[in-house]
Amino acid sequence: MSTAAVGFAARRVLRGLLTMWFAVTVTFFLLRLLPGDPALAIADPGMTEELRANLIASYGLDRPILVQYWEYLVHLVQGDLGVSFRQNQPVTTVLLERLPWTLLLALSAVVVTVAVGIPLGVLAATRARSWVDRVVQVGGVTAQSMFVPSIGVLLLYVFGVTLGWLPIGGAIDEDVTGLAAVGSVVAHLVLPCLSLVLIQLGSYVLTLRTTLIETLGEDYVSLARAKGVTARKVVWKHALRNALLPTTTLMGLQFSLLVGGAVLTETIYAYPGVGRAIFEAVGRLDFPVLQGAFLVLAFTVIIANLLTDIAYGLLDPRVRTS
Amino acid sequence: MRPVTARRAVRGLAAVLGAAALVVSAAACGAGGASGGKSATRIVIGTTADVVNYNPLVGNSRTDSWVTNLMYPKLMSMDMEGKRVPHLATSWEYAEGGTKARVKIRDDMKWTDGKPVSADDVVFTIDAVAKEKIGVVAGLISSYGSAKALSPTEVEFTLTKPDGTFLDNVGFWMAVVPAHVFGKAPSVAKFANDSDWVSAGPYKLTKVERGQRYVLDRVTPYPLAPDNTPNLEQVVFRVFGDVNTEVLALRNGEIDLVANALPPTLAKSVQNDNKLKTVEIPSLGWAHMQYNVQRAPLDKLEVRQALAAAVDYEAIRKSALQGAAVSSDSSVLTPTLKQWHDPSAQEYRHDVAKAKELLAKAGHADGLTLSMIYDQADPNIAKWAQLVRDGAKEAGIEIKLEGLERNTYVAKGSNRDFDIYAGSWAIMDNPPANLGLAFKCGGFINYANVCDPELDKLISQAQEQTDPQAAKDPIQRAARIISEQVYDNVLYVEKFTFAHGAKWTGFEQRPSELLSIVNPESLAKAKAN
Amino acid sequence: MSVETATALPPSESTAAQTWRAFRRNPLGVAGGLVLVALALVAIAAPLLADYPSGSSDDVLVGPSAGHPLGTDDLGRDVFGQVVWGTRMSIAVGFAASVLAIIAGTAIGVAAAYFKRLDTALGVLVDLSLSLPVLPLMILIAALVGPSATTLIIVIAAFSWPEVARVVRSQAMTVMPQQFIAAANVIGGSNTWIIRKHVLPGVAPVVVVSVVMTTSRAVLSEAGLSFLGLGDPDNWSWGTILHNAQQSGSLTTAWWTTLFPSVAILLLVVSTTLLSVAYNDARNPKTR
Repeated sequence: MSTAAVGFAARRVLRGLLTMWFAVTVTFFLLRLLPGDPALAIADPGMTEELRANLIASYGLDRPILVQYWEYLVHLVQGDLGVSFRQNQPVTTVLLERLPWTLLLALSAVVVTVAVGIPLGVLAATRARSWVDRVVQVGGVTAQSMFVPSIGVLLLYVFGVTLGWLPIGGAIDEDVTGLAAVGSVVAHLVLPCLSLVLIQLGSYVLTLRTTLIETLGEDYVSLARAKGVTARKVVWKHALRNALLPTTTLMGLQFSLLVGGAVLTETIYAYPGVGRAIFEAVGRLDFPVLQGAFLVLAFTVIIANLLTDIAYGLLDPRVRTS
Repeated sequence: MRPVTARRAVRGLAAVLGAAALVVSAAACGAGGASGGKSATRIVIGTTADVVNYNPLVGNSRTDSWVTNLMYPKLMSMDMEGKRVPHLATSWEYAEGGTKARVKIRDDMKWTDGKPVSADDVVFTIDAVAKEKIGVVAGLISSYGSAKALSPTEVEFTLTKPDGTFLDNVGFWMAVVPAHVFGKAPSVAKFANDSDWVSAGPYKLTKVERGQRYVLDRVTPYPLAPDNTPNLEQVVFRVFGDVNTEVLALRNGEIDLVANALPPTLAKSVQNDNKLKTVEIPSLGWAHMQYNVQRAPLDKLEVRQALAAAVDYEAIRKSALQGAAVSSDSSVLTPTLKQWHDPSAQEYRHDVAKAKELLAKAGHADGLTLSMIYDQADPNIAKWAQLVRDGAKEAGIEIKLEGLERNTYVAKGSNRDFDIYAGSWAIMDNPPANLGLAFKCGGFINYANVCDPELDKLISQAQEQTDPQAAKDPIQRAARIISEQVYDNVLYVEKFTFAHGAKWTGFEQRPSELLSIVNPESLAKAKAN
Repeated sequence: MSVETATALPPSESTAAQTWRAFRRNPLGVAGGLVLVALALVAIAAPLLADYPSGSSDDVLVGPSAGHPLGTDDLGRDVFGQVVWGTRMSIAVGFAASVLAIIAGTAIGVAAAYFKRLDTALGVLVDLSLSLPVLPLMILIAALVGPSATTLIIVIAAFSWPEVARVVRSQAMTVMPQQFIAAANVIGGSNTWIIRKHVLPGVAPVVVVSVVMTTSRAVLSEAGLSFLGLGDPDNWSWGTILHNAQQSGSLTTAWWTTLFPSVAILLLVVSTTLLSVAYNDARNPKTR
């Protein structure tokens, strides 16, 4: 590996660690400095003062906040996220079972968005200002402006109750294996995924459209055209590749938004993801679970950035050759 | 611009969409055979939250109770009027003037590892609860001294003072846990009990998929089921974060029963669906507002009376509850508890002019601003809180609503950090015990901060009686004081509506949302036609 | 979004006129602007259009009819009145949050572009803030602090400024070649003077677009938080209407309680997006 590549990788790792530290720190101090007493979440109102004090001490909540912070970081480095206040279970147990579902949901939404978004973006850009362009624009904007729960119950009603095609709630049926399990997962995924695709397709298509229109006006595209390259090849081979760069960045950002921001989707579709788990932990003031959850989310952001970088490298010849 | 490109792009798009449609339909077919809720030997029950704690002594959410009730027996169950009936215990009595209590338990109940449920388990459980002060039970058994097993099926409790509420409280509230399992944990309260469950109910927990489902399998023999065998092979709880989605799943047959009571308007629409049946269950508690009597200006009786007169009770029951509630005549002795109810009680009259007059008398003719806290997740309270606010405004009282997250709400409640506390008690089945906790000076759910010597005396007097008949008179007098002094403003007693698929029968009804038709006897006897 | 950063032209009399001419030719942008004006009028004229919905009536969950054009909710209150008054509240919360976010974002964005030494630190701060899980944090804070309109405004603003800062920074960089500032410094212009006179006018176009976009995003956030029960129960907003419908279980049984507030949200967000897309297109010579 070249030194440049090592340096690049090192910067990336450093940045990733910084991102995680920032998320953990913000959460840690928000939880402790905002009103809301964790002692009340752990202790019972009927407890004697002494028992209550013991219990709070056993979670280390009686020490100065900076000491608590330092200990939390030390444990974190050792891979120990702590024990849930309410469930007496390790935070990792509480979260890790739900994370795969969220990742599946977010990833599938990103893949479908790109798969549907590219043709739509090309269509709109190559026929800029035609009625097709306007339909795509308005459609995309409308879809992304929809309020997820509203569209959610509508889709559930139509596909779940009226037509009876798709299941309502959950991520997989009980006791299914092999192909049936795959089918079951897909069937449960369709509607929540569709909702997420709808709300992010608009910005993807619009960004692609704008950049594509700009690229199509660039000199080298004109040059290619002048050389007699077919229109189709110009668009798909030359212009699109460049236009995809900014949209790739966008998708990286969207992915991390999706992982944490799917609370509404997960609520309405009863999907067992991590967003819903966070919402429930907020209701219970379960500090360790919340801290762990935000750490996990920060981690997915880093992974998303990494994937974006790789995609960038594949798309951008300058990055690839250097 | 370039029609060729566009046409190809359209074709490409069509191909993508076509492929997506194929996947969808293939998935739909695949799902058709496997999806749940369509079996006759398995019941799928919807709930709105995950199990938080599998330890029945600690868990306090509704879902926790529904699941752990199927696994850990209580000494007693209760009938529709709140009276105790045998469950694990077969008989019970007080002795020595109320300072001793004895319970006989069944000899045929077994833990799932084959060991019998014995008097030692009962002794172990109550000792752990008392020592570690676990949960609500610890607050209810303040008179507990010690316990010993007289035989494998007999327990004797020694009390520190005569307490006629002890047996009812222990019998109904305390789940009995296996000493040979829970005893191994260094602290019973901190024991997570999240795997390899050893239980003694009609069903045992076998599989947990967090955020999705909790699967319980049949246990045989289970002596409280006909022929020692629960009817169903499996009970599955499925988690829905939203009641709208949950009811959609009920409508399309994905689930068979909704464990949580339906919001009144939704209940109405479900009643019109011929594929579903509804069951009405009375509440054992009440919905109420408590005024912080230690905080000015609510320390003035006139102000509290003015607030009470500014509420349109009938409208709340009719609109917010859609008629699914009865009046409790502004008394804490609700009509559900027939043996305690006081027929002479009368509801506060809704009278805006009188409210204004009282307010003026208290020196607040130019109006008042107060805040009211409530748990925003409780749909009924969130609704009637708005009506209370709008009604008070007519009388010149501005009520600021603070709909809070459950924990913040409980925190403010226990810190007495509020003007008005809107809430509901789920189960207030034993007035001498409950009124003690809720209205005696320093009682741990005495949110209104009441400290009235006369009231304390009457409640103590009632608590010492081991014969409920003798406790009735002092308790009714106490309830009259609470009503006259507006220490508590009881708005209504709810009639819960539960819904299940029409093919299901055999449920055994119990009062309150916690027991309803999801109690162990009911699910042991339920069957599909 | 790159839509907003696409170009960098210092505004001048002629470009402004060109932009306006190009904008007028775009029917989508014009339609978006008109809808937005209409919504603003509804918000301002709410007291003239409908009584403030309060109390209860016996006509519970009645569908759209002559007396109640948009039906009634689960307490028998008029949904039309709720949507009208909700317009006022939703836009007010969205706009207030947006203004706060814009002030903070512009200040930080300009500072980063102008003071070279701050750029790296501020850039890292913005990047880190952008990578925070926004919605979960909003939920957390709103729940801990307790729901009210003020909480919503501050929480939404607190997580919207980084986006603005990023956009403003890159725009400020392009309107402000370093030699130019050096020259201004030489002739004795103070930093504030240069920023006020040259930098702020240069970033104004993207700030305008940002206000519109941030407002609509804030309205969506407000609806989401209210839907989850973290809204202000003493004020009608579109999210509150939907929250009431969700809690009473009428999302599927009484479509009018869901549809109309959803359509209101949709109208606002669609019109703001179309407006800003059209404005960006009009500003950009390549897409004009």
